This record gives sequence, C-alpha cells and structure tokens, in this order.
Amino acid sequence: MEKPQLIIDGKRLDGREMEDLRPVKITAHVLNDANGSAYVEWGKNKILAGVYGPRECIPRHDQSLIRAVVRARYNMAPFCSLEEHGRSGPSRRSVELSKVISEVFENVIISEAYPKTQIQIFIEVLQSDGGTRCAAVTAAAVALADAGIPMRDLVCAVAVGKADGQLVLDCSKEEDNYGESDMPVAIAPRNGEILLFQMDGLLTRDEIDTGLTMVQRAAEKISAMQAAALQQVYERKTAPKLEM
Amino acid sequence: MEILDELSRDALRRLIATGRRADGRDMYSYRDIGIQKNPVPNAEGSALVSLGKTQILVGVKFDIAKPFADKPDEGVLSTGAELVPLASGTFETGPPREEAIELARVVDRGIRSSNTIDLKSFYIDKEKVLGIYVDIWVLDFDGNFFDAAGLAAMAALKSARMPKVEDGKIIRSESAGKLKLTSDVVTCTFAKADTSFLLDPSFDEEKGMDGRITIATTPEHVCAIQKGGWGAFTQKDIMSLVDISFAKGKELRSLLQ
Amino acid sequence: MSNIIVPGQMVADKPLKMGYAYVENGKTYATVMSLLTDDHKLIPLCGPYEPLAGDGIVGFVSEIKFSGYSINIRTPAAAYLSSRDCRDKLALGDVLAATIRLVDEVKSLELEDAKILRDGTLVQIGPAKIPRVIGKKNSMINIIKEKTGCEIYAGRNGYAWVSSQGNSDLAIRTLRKIEHEAHISGLTNRVSDFLASAGKQ
Repeated sequence: MEKPQLIIDGKRLDGREMEDLRPVKITAHVLNDANGSAYVEWGKNKILAGVYGPRECIPRHDQSLIRAVVRARYNMAPFCSLEEHGRSGPSRRSVELSKVISEVFENVIISEAYPKTQIQIFIEVLQSDGGTRCAAVTAAAVALADAGIPMRDLVCAVAVGKADGQLVLDCSKEEDNYGESDMPVAIAPRNGEILLFQMDGLLTRDEIDTGLTMVQRAAEKISAMQAAALQQVYERKTAPKLEM
Repeated sequence: MEILDELSRDALRRLIATGRRADGRDMYSYRDIGIQKNPVPNAEGSALVSLGKTQILVGVKFDIAKPFADKPDEGVLSTGAELVPLASGTFETGPPREEAIELARVVDRGIRSSNTIDLKSFYIDKEKVLGIYVDIWVLDFDGNFFDAAGLAAMAALKSARMPKVEDGKIIRSESAGKLKLTSDVVTCTFAKADTSFLLDPSFDEEKGMDGRITIATTPEHVCAIQKGGWGAFTQKDIMSLVDISFAKGKELRSLLQ
Repeated sequence: MSNIIVPGQMVADKPLKMGYAYVENGKTYATVMSLLTDDHKLIPLCGPYEPLAGDGIVGFVSEIKFSGYSINIRTPAAAYLSSRDCRDKLALGDVLAATIRLVDEVKSLELEDAKILRDGTLVQIGPAKIPRVIGKKNSMINIIKEKTGCEIYAGRNGYAWVSSQGNSDLAIRTLRKIEHEAHISGLTNRVSDFLASAGKQ
C-alpha cells in the first residue's frame, strides 16, 4: 500500500495534536483467580494483565537464592488483529517482548524479599492497534500493584514516533506502519529512569532528546490514571469483572 | 495441590449430603450469567461471557482456506481453545494441554453437528473456501468452562459479520451481512458427586466431583455429549439430565436473543 | 480516598523507618498498595503473606518426612514441623493450627505448638484481610463464633478453618463478606447486622 499523508493541516489522522495521547482507560482487579490483574484500553488496544506470585519457582534450576525471578509472558490472541487469523504459540516478536518486559519489572520489584520464588506476569493482547507493548507494560504495572508485590515505583510506558517529519506522541497503527521512526519507552515516573528503550527507523540526536522529554511529560498523566484505577478498587463492593 | 483437592472433596460431600451448595444455589441453577457482545471489533465476531467468576472471551475470524479433500465444496470450521495462564493458578504456559483440546473439540462438535453454519455457502472455487476460526480464550477460571465457552462461542457467532470476498480475496473493510445461523446451540454441564447431580459446577465443586457430563442441544435435538471424569452414569441418570438440558437450554437461548 | 497509597508514592519528605516503605535521597516512599494512618504507618491492602516468628497460622500436612512434616501454609515453600513439636501423629491432609517458631534469611519456616483441627472446612482468605477477620483483641472473630456456634481459627497466612459443628455455612459466608468489605468503614456493625438478619431467616 502507498504511504498515506499522516499529518494534515497540523493534525494527525485521528484528529490528535502532536503530543496528545489516545483515549486511555485503566481498570484494576478485573479477574478473580489471579493475585492481581488489570485491563487497559488504549485507543483500540485491549490488553489484559494478570499476576501470580511470589510462588514456588519451577523448574528449580531457574530459581535464585537471592531474589524472586520475574517472568513476563506477552501473548497475542489469534483474533486480536484487523487482518488475518493469527497463529497460536509464541512468535520471535512475542518472545523478545516478553524478555524486555520482564527486565523492566526486575528493576522495580523488590525481589530480594522473596528468594527462591518466581513472580509471573501474564499479558494477553485481546485487540491490537499499534503500541501494544507500551499498553502492556502499563497494564502489568497495575496488575503487580494489585497483587501487592512490593515495588519501588509504578512503571508506565508510551511511544514517541516520527511521522511526516514531526515527532508524535503515542503512535497510532498508521503512524507506526508508515512513519519514519518508532521509539517505545517505559519509565519509572518517580525519578524519570528509563527501563525499556527500543527504537527503529531514523532519528537525529536532538529528536531523541525531545522525544524522551515528551515521554516524561506523558508519563505523569498515565501514572495518575494508574494510581486512580488502583484506588478505585477499594471503593467497589462487587466481585471482579471484566467490562470491555 | 492434590491434597487441597481432597479437602475440597470432603467439604463438598458433607454439604451435598445436606442438599445444599456452598453459594446457596439449588442443584439445577446456573450462577449469574453476563454476555457482552462484540467486545473485540477487530474480529469479525466476538463475545465475552461471565458465568459466576468464570470469564471467557471468544473471537471469530474469517480467512481464505483450502478445502478438505473429503469435503471439496465446503468451507472450513476450526475451533481452538487456550487455558490462558492468567486465568488460574492451576493453568500452565506452553502448548495446549489435553483439557484445552477437549474443550475446543466439545464446543466444535456442538456447532458442527447442529449444522447451524451452512459451510457449503463458504465455497469460493476449487482451490479456495472461506475458513471460520472460533477461538476460545479462558480469561478467569472458576469451573465449568464448557457452558461458558459454548455460550460465548454462540454469542460471538451471532454477532459475526461476513467479510466481502472478491476475486478470491477477503476485503475486511466491507461487510457482506451477518453470518447466517439456523439454530442456537447451548450446552449444559452437570457434575456428579455421590448420587447427586449439580448443574454448572464451580471449580471447588469440580475438584470434589466424581464425574461430569456435558450435553449440547438445539431446541429439537441433542447435538453433542461428552462424559468426563472417573465416575459412572446410569442410563436413567443420563435420560433425566437430557430432559433437564432441554429445559435449561431454553433459558440459555433466551439470554442469546 | 486520598489516604490509599500506591507503590512509589511519597509518604514523607524526610527519611522514616517504616514497614512497606523505603528511603531514597532523604525521602520516604511506599512499596505496596496501603492505607496511611495518622500515626504514619502503612497498612497493606493486599499482597502475599509475610511470615513472622510468633504468627498463628493454619495449614495442612502436604508431606510426611523422616522426623516431621511439611505443612502447606500458602507460602511459596512449605513450612517444617518437627514431630517433637506436635503431640498428635499426623496424616497427609490433616489440618492444623500452629505458631511460627522461626523464619530464616531464605524464608525457610519452622512451626511449633501444633494443634490438629478435625471435622471442618478450610477457607482461603486474602492474608491482608485476616487482621479484620480477627478484629481488635479478637472482637470480630468472637462475634462470628458466638452467633454461629462454630469453632474458627483464622491463620495470619490466609487460611481459616471453620468447624462443621455450628452454622458453618453462615460462618463461611460471613468470612467472605469481611474479605470483600475489609477496607470499608463500619465493618463490625455491618457484620453484626448480617449475622442478625441471617439468624432470623
């Protein structure tokens, strides 16, 4: 397909300004069995995260005497995309994302408190719309907090990209597919430390610097939504239920 | 956690002996049922069903497929299920386990035997037919995934839009109308504990049961049965459970309207 | 509900030594979902059981060993009970109440003062909710025992045991209600009302 024009009259295809997020809705504690859970709608992305642990680490040769092992599993449902039916089982992409997401949370979880155990983070992409890994990290952080796993911070993530020569926050699927660059970033908003950092396409040194500043600003908004979602759990009386 | 299951079994037996269930239901009542239609619009059809604390999402996708050699003039129906590890502390990562495969096959048999989908209408040419893919995603597990998945699959099929097909290619942005279905298949699952039967067993009840039977019906016919577990059933038991399944089937079908 | 604290939230702009928090650059931050009390304590709202020596727990025998037993108390690894610390001879699946004698640096646990609990039901409750089930000076658990006629043991680890003798159905439903509503104020009154109205039926 031919590359469409991504910015028309100073607005993006979905009507956003350069530094606007898509609509984001976060709900914590939507599952009954998982120790913690969260559901995030981010644009058309629909992502569910569930956490189990700390529990016995199997196989045993993976366990550490010093800290809990943190394992994330990022998985896409075969019906999540607008295109063809997906194949089940891990792809090279989902294995890579599982690894970098695990590493994000190894940084903030106070894992020394639980030697010989594992903490499992399961992420299911139920509908995908560009930017699933950032929405997944944001959901997983809320699920971990909902499970009562001690953490130094509530991590969130968002991407910055370049479309028609301009830096744009939170790339849409079209901007992701046809833009010049995509740079997903996860941060600990309390001190601004960067915990996931990937990038493809071409950016100048200054564009990376400006992009990261845009991410830091957006992270404040996202982390406020995460905190509100977690506090709302304690105002509900009903059993956990997923509202999609 | 085998020992915990044994403890549940003892607790269940004691309770059933007094004619009660832990959540206060009577023997042939369902837990609260919720159906959300079309929660995943990227799929051609979808539904999220909650049955008590069990929550299951089903997505339906269409693709171009090759016809099977023995049915060259028919489309392909394929049903998959995953016991997603976030749904239960007892589910594991990795390839589908036998429980997931059994679940997918039982739901598939109900849909297939009822002929509710006219697969002949999915014929395109000698090389190509439409494939319809029904994927059952168990998201939160508290027992009886058969009935929840059956209901979610039917609700997802009822919400499904046919994609337009042109020159042997799918044009997803254009709809060719709703998927036509001739009848609504619903399933009823009973657990057997000692000599009692319980409709819609919770996970605790499943841990304590001897056996299980799932009966799928259309308004007129039984279209799939699956017995599971160690326990045995008498002919009389089965006939009475078939009768109850037809009666309960009406209730379930009214929820699908 | 601004006193509900999330992980990473600052709870004091000076270094304070408090549970469920850490100090960085002279400031104190929470690590878990918790309530901040007026006297500057964090009370966790959810999360795994953190075993402490002296805790009363409920568990069951998950393995019989040479000179003692492995006891499942919902921690990642089972606790150990030496046969010397238990008057009864235990069998697989026996439920018991005991006290934690020792927690070592890799969270290995030893139990003592075990008492076998016969003829009852084991109920799982979020460990963070157990203090509400027990109540101040056992006030809550005593109300339930009195109104249902059940013997009840609520272990800090998140297992509770309810005797079959008495209205165990009502006792278990009351425990579930407390678990669901632990964070909403006026709990004692609501539980009393619940037990009173259920008693009339």
